[in-house]
Amino acid sequence: MRFGWTADQVALREAVRDLLASACPPSVVRAAWPGGDESSVEALWSALTGMGIPGAVGELGLDEVDLVSLLEETGYAAVPLPVVETAAVAAPLLAATGDPGGHLPGILAGRTRVAVAGGLVPYGRRATLVLHLDGPAAWLSTLDGAVDETTVDGSLAAVRVPKPSGEPLTEDAELVGLAADRLALGAAAQLVGLGRRMLDLTVGYVRERRQFGVPVGSFQAVKHHLADALVRLEFAAPAVYAAAWALAGRRPERGRDVSTAVLLATEAAREAARTAIQCHGAIGYTVEYDLHLYAKRAWAVAATCDTDAHLARVAEALDLKGAAA
Amino acid sequence: MDGDLAAFRAEVRDWLAAHLTGEFAPLVGAGGPGREHELTELRVAWERELGAAGWIGLGWPVADGGRGADIARQVVFFEEYARAGGPGRLSHIGEYLLAPTLVAYGTPEQRRRFLPPIARAQELWCQGYSEPEAGSDLASVRTTAVRDGDTWRITGQKVWTSLAHIAQWCFVLARTDPSASRHRGLSYLLVPMDQPGIEVRPIVQLTGTSEFNEVFFDGAVTAAANIVGAPGDGWRVAIGTLGFERGVATLGQQVGFARELDAVIAAARADGRLADPVHYDRLVDAWIGLRVLRYHALRTLGESAGANASVAKLLWANWHQRLGELAVDEPGAMLAEGEPYALSDAQRLFLFTRADTIYGGSNEIQRGIVADALLGKVGRR
Ligand SMILES: Cc1cc2nc3c(=O)[nH]c(=O)nc-3n(C[C@H](O)[C@H](O)[C@H](O)COP(=O)(O)OP(=O)(O)OC[C@H]3O[C@@H](n4cnc5c(N)ncnc54)[C@H](O)[C@@H]3O)c2cc1C
Repeated sequence: MRFGWTADQVALREAVRDLLASACPPSVVRAAWPGGDESSVEALWSALTGMGIPGAVGELGLDEVDLVSLLEETGYAAVPLPVVETAAVAAPLLAATGDPGGHLPGILAGRTRVAVAGGLVPYGRRATLVLHLDGPAAWLSTLDGAVDETTVDGSLAAVRVPKPSGEPLTEDAELVGLAADRLALGAAAQLVGLGRRMLDLTVGYVRERRQFGVPVGSFQAVKHHLADALVRLEFAAPAVYAAAWALAGRRPERGRDVSTAVLLATEAAREAARTAIQCHGAIGYTVEYDLHLYAKRAWAVAATCDTDAHLARVAEALDLKGAAA
Repeated sequence: MDGDLAAFRAEVRDWLAAHLTGEFAPLVGAGGPGREHELTELRVAWERELGAAGWIGLGWPVADGGRGADIARQVVFFEEYARAGGPGRLSHIGEYLLAPTLVAYGTPEQRRRFLPPIARAQELWCQGYSEPEAGSDLASVRTTAVRDGDTWRITGQKVWTSLAHIAQWCFVLARTDPSASRHRGLSYLLVPMDQPGIEVRPIVQLTGTSEFNEVFFDGAVTAAANIVGAPGDGWRVAIGTLGFERGVATLGQQVGFARELDAVIAAARADGRLADPVHYDRLVDAWIGLRVLRYHALRTLGESAGANASVAKLLWANWHQRLGELAVDEPGAMLAEGEPYALSDAQRLFLFTRADTIYGGSNEIQRGIVADALLGKVGRR
């Protein structure tokens, strides 16, 4: 079996990459930090809506395999909006549950953005609804009573919501589990994208930055750091795509594969951040330079992943759990 | 002897207990990694309190304003200081970088003029080495100094200058002979910060706070006598500054590390992470690593620094950076609570430790030094 992309998938990915290059440059990520100009963030959502991304799964008829590289691009651009949550999690779940509250049209029109509650609600301040995935049940709530939270990644616009009673969506554990796996897959894809962005920034920098009369990128120590980071990302990426494939086919091993993807992607993104800062020198430790926007997003997205639980799920799938006990 | 040491320890402990209270009470635990911006004014006052009691320049000769304390006593002071939760220091650049430089390369007049105010913390120092185009490649500094009657006139830009915003003085590596090649045309100048020709602009760091700065020199002046070593001899002096044996300070730093590790372990205990064998494995590794740091410092105490300084820097920078990672090694730990950019201790430690492997000579540069010095010797044998 060859594991590759179709021409359509490649074209879609490139279209999204081009769109985000102009609609979500570093200045827009910066604008998403407290005190920034939110209108450029809003314009970004309009651009994404214009491409049909919020409704991609239903309207464009994409499956997880089509979606995954698109989500990777949203990571590459550090889109400061709940795009994974809305497009990859909420929209398909609403479609599968018959959309009792009638929210899908709003999503497709770009009016409704759905964030997903963990401990915090990332992008909650920029969402109109919050989806709760709680054990076998899923329900929606508004943002009434939401409290702003500042996180290490200031562009995350996170809120904390009181445990409200909301609008029940489903108690089908299978559907809710699928939604949780899509959320995890989206995080993994974004982490790979973020890692690639940090690596690209760094490669660009070490080509330009000269010390001792040569580009610092010509030093083997720097090259090896970058090669290691690249290899880690290249190991993580196929695991993320494999997880997307397992999800799209509703394969029984999809949980194991999604967890594997998360474990590899969190580690690869963290290492990419460490490498990127190191190879930049002191400029990488400042906020005036763009790298921190991507590093902080990577740390934040990685922090939303319950890696302990994912590790346990892989162990269980391999029948390792409890074997020692 | 041991009795004397115990008495000294009691003296330090009692002094700290008596002084780290009242107006200084808020300083306990302040100014640590990622918190360098905290309570600056009070910490400056605290430095003066320490200085007045003779705790700065403890190991210097009495003639230089010190107390002539032996290494064991200096270590005891650091241990007790860290144990008492003494705040992050602001006078260390003068005490540990400039002072030994003046002792090694300065004139008697320079020692008389500059050492006592360092010991009393009346003059704080900053280090003006790095420039936009001169980081790892320090010899490529472009800031110039020109003789103008009884003064040097300095023009150029320094960057990443820690504490320049509170320092009264800066030791500046500047080019005094533009015709000489790289290392040769440099001089080591002592420059007062409070003058119209100097502008300091803060640089915001990953932590959202600011400890280092850009420093612009636009015809800034210093007296002709404020040069350490001869004109053109600045490279040797600058490298000397970096190479002084800092084993004692390193041991003190390790007591601070131990406190940080304790805090990380306490947090892991509080949220049940100790039940996770993988996590406690890493905690045990961290503890072992700290022992290794200590043994290395003890073994090399008093030896000439050279490549040992690079080995020590690599050891602690990597150890500390990993501790920062361990501090946030828990789902959700990098998602904060609180006011605008009110980071948790763990997050601050994590963010701050990203820089450990960069400042004071990056890991890559240190490995190069170790390889040249140690492997070079092995090769020649
Ligand atoms: C928190 C902090 C505080 C600081 N405080 C001060 C201060 O008070 N005063 C002061 O003068 N400076 C200070 N610095 C600056 C510090 O000394 C420099 O950052 C450091 O020397 C590296 O220089 P650079 O940042 O320009 O990186 P660069 O030299 O541009 O290095 C970029 C990358 O290339 C690598 N590299 C460079 N040369 C080589 C080589 N030959 N072989 C292999 N790899 C190489 C580096 O390791 C790094 O990974 C501070 C820095 C930080 C982060």
